[in-house]
Amino acid sequence: MSSLDNINPPFFKKNGNLHPIAQTKDFLLELLRKHGFVEVHGPEIETEKFNFDMLNIKESHPARQMHDTFYVDDMEMVLRTHTSPVQIRSMLSTKPPLAFSSAGKVYRKDDDATHLPMFHQVEGIYVDENINFSNLKDLIHKIIYSIFGDDVQIRFRPSYFPFTEPSAEVDILSDSGSWLEILGCGIVNPIVLNNCNIDSKVYSGLAFGLGVERIAMLKYGVNDIREFYKSNLDFLEQFK
Amino acid sequence: MKVIYSDLISFLEQNPTKEDLSNKLFQLGHEHEIDGEVFNMELTPNRGDCLSVKGLARDLYAFFGKSKPTFFFEGCYDDLKLDFHNLSTLDCPKISFLEIHINKPTNNYKHYLDNYFKVLNLSKTNFFSDISNFISYELGQPTHCYDANSLKSNLVFENKKSNEKFKTLLDSDIRLEGKNSIFSSGNEIISLAGVMGGKKTSCSENTTKVLIECAFFNPESIAGKSIKYGLKSDAAHKFERGVDPSSQEYVLRRFTEIIKDHTEIISAKFCSYDYGQVPITQINFNEKRINKILGTNITKKEYKDYLCALSFDVKEQITVPSFRHDIKNQNDLAEEVARLIGYNNIESESITLPKIEQQSNINIQKLRSFLVKTGFSEVINFPFSEKKNKISLSIDNPLDSNKGNLRLTLEDSLLGNVSYNLRRQKDSIKFFEISDIYSKDTNLLQETYLGIVATGRVGHNHNDFAKKIDIIYLKSLFHGFFNDSEFKVKEITSNSLGLKTKDRIFFIEIKISDIDNSFFDDIEIEAKKINFIQYQKISEFPASTRDISFSIKNLSEVQNVIDYFDQVKSSDLNECFMFDFYKNDKSLEVKMGYRFIFKSNTKTLTENHINESLLKLINAVLQIDGVSVPGL
Repeated sequence: MSSLDNINPPFFKKNGNLHPIAQTKDFLLELLRKHGFVEVHGPEIETEKFNFDMLNIKESHPARQMHDTFYVDDMEMVLRTHTSPVQIRSMLSTKPPLAFSSAGKVYRKDDDATHLPMFHQVEGIYVDENINFSNLKDLIHKIIYSIFGDDVQIRFRPSYFPFTEPSAEVDILSDSGSWLEILGCGIVNPIVLNNCNIDSKVYSGLAFGLGVERIAMLKYGVNDIREFYKSNLDFLEQFK
Repeated sequence: MKVIYSDLISFLEQNPTKEDLSNKLFQLGHEHEIDGEVFNMELTPNRGDCLSVKGLARDLYAFFGKSKPTFFFEGCYDDLKLDFHNLSTLDCPKISFLEIHINKPTNNYKHYLDNYFKVLNLSKTNFFSDISNFISYELGQPTHCYDANSLKSNLVFENKKSNEKFKTLLDSDIRLEGKNSIFSSGNEIISLAGVMGGKKTSCSENTTKVLIECAFFNPESIAGKSIKYGLKSDAAHKFERGVDPSSQEYVLRRFTEIIKDHTEIISAKFCSYDYGQVPITQINFNEKRINKILGTNITKKEYKDYLCALSFDVKEQITVPSFRHDIKNQNDLAEEVARLIGYNNIESESITLPKIEQQSNINIQKLRSFLVKTGFSEVINFPFSEKKNKISLSIDNPLDSNKGNLRLTLEDSLLGNVSYNLRRQKDSIKFFEISDIYSKDTNLLQETYLGIVATGRVGHNHNDFAKKIDIIYLKSLFHGFFNDSEFKVKEITSNSLGLKTKDRIFFIEIKISDIDNSFFDDIEIEAKKINFIQYQKISEFPASTRDISFSIKNLSEVQNVIDYFDQVKSSDLNECFMFDFYKNDKSLEVKMGYRFIFKSNTKTLTENHINESLLKLINAVLQIDGVSVPGL
């Protein structure tokens, strides 16, 4: 036996990587799962009924116009502009109490340095008796602490979403001292519950939505959203 | 919307500082930035009532009180006999007109008017239009000024189909399409209602007799028109969000007052048409419901005080102010209360949902895990494609013509990813994408596909470096994954991609539902905690490669050399790996080939720079006993 026999180089077989947006989405879904949300799925091509009408987004709402929403199939369908229609479909087939999360690609007719025509959302909805705004605040605090740590400073601002009322946007205080918008949330508009055959006199709900790219950019320190979709190996290989 | 600080506080009883105002505006949900004396507001689309100085101030009365009302004309108007016909009262349920004849227009404006143009850096147009713009800024009600002498006998409002040409007062020519709300006079369109007036009847600096139109248009009849015709219109922005139908006379009296403040009025005539179709919203007073929605414990009195501070009329029923088109139900009222309390001042109340064990889409997760372990990286692509066939779904309003369809295969996207990386000197590319594909035959079809693309070297290690990806390699990876009959690998020529690489490019696509279930049974998913690394900006400068062969005669130092290069770091070193390992039994030495890839984030590296960097890297290794670079 030669003295060389014991010398063997390590065999480094490099793994590939999951996409950073997919990793962030999985992380958020797992977080919601731990909080009791069941993941539900739905199509990316939706009817106007599920994407807008059921969510109390009126025909005159700017979001429904051709410059904001992609219409397909001779205006019969839309590329979903949010993952909320998945929740609508699930609420129609489930009696409360219910807690759903939905995640995936959504589309808006935007394409510039800070907006893409396709991006990802993770949303959650919880419907039960006596759900109120104070409960929403508690859950949102827990979710944000899980993402950004227990020390992060959080503020709620009134906002407007047709499907929630009251509605809020939630910011965190960055290291540089500026407030960064993290998510939108609110108490489910009773009109939406009624649309889903849920009696809004008995039940109420809370809902929230996070932009996956937004969270990924903050957590990874990526400044340009377009980097995620160039499929540059040097970029992708960093996210082990 | 831009608001001058001094204008805003002129509507308030107290004189809050900019910081105090800013804090309360945020509490109320009105995002803004402060630029000197100007608050640059970003208002939510439901708050059309706040698109003016007065509207914004109204929301702040609860904190800073209400000042005395601004001056308005308190005299009597003569009756205006107007031959006006409203043929679409649902689209315009209320409208008022004021005809004013003045002696002489002026451009010598009082401070409050001049300041509006100066501070907001706006161009003046003519006397009446300037006041109209100021009134819209101050009170939120757009008005339109016709040169009264240019109007023909009658004035008609209607919502009708037409395809006539129309020249706007800003000189742009548009051709109307479909149904539009319009004003016409003598059968000629003179205004695209709520959006922009026409050139022929517009005021000029010589206009002395003006007809001012002050209307409430149904937001639905105005929505989308300005974008449709490419007209930038502040009026349309306000009408789309809803103006105050009860403010018309006050607005026109304020208009009159400002004219009077600047020049002599010869006559002032007024008329108003109310078709009784603007609904009044009333909601039950129910503080228990509000507490239930918010999780608060406010008293009846507190609730009433909050609403009164926001101009609600509170008796047994709550009457919503005519300018608040966004308030319809108890949840809307709860939000009003919450805004005044401050969202951040409402206590959290603990909530715990039942825990679940379910993990969905487990097979997809297993598949992704398997592919990553096999060396493939996940990519995500946009689904838009220029290619079309009879089962394609077309996008009716694509971003551009080469993105007019939804892709029917992942192939083009993945080949695009390969091209992008080959052009960046990558010599080992293995990507996968899992995505839904949509098509339409008779029904809409949604199917989830896996696409795989691979080219170049098998890997960056001494075992795989010399091997090129080929069908045998791919078969070895995915054995058991596909039935042999379904294992279809497509080879794509680099020429077809406009590339010069000699490496073969392979593409595989399979429907997830076609993958044998037994494949998933054998895969375990490792629980992996996400590692949010801090991303390092990638370089777009070219890479330079250097290959060095090391001879190691002191065999006890082999591991030290390997360890050194495992950990070596340099600002310009992009990658370093062992591509060859050879044991020479006769000479009892080990030879190791290392590849160094240099790339700078800031510049194209020169030969000298690379050689210097390389020497620094390998000098440390050359100090190790028995290590040399043959020929150096």
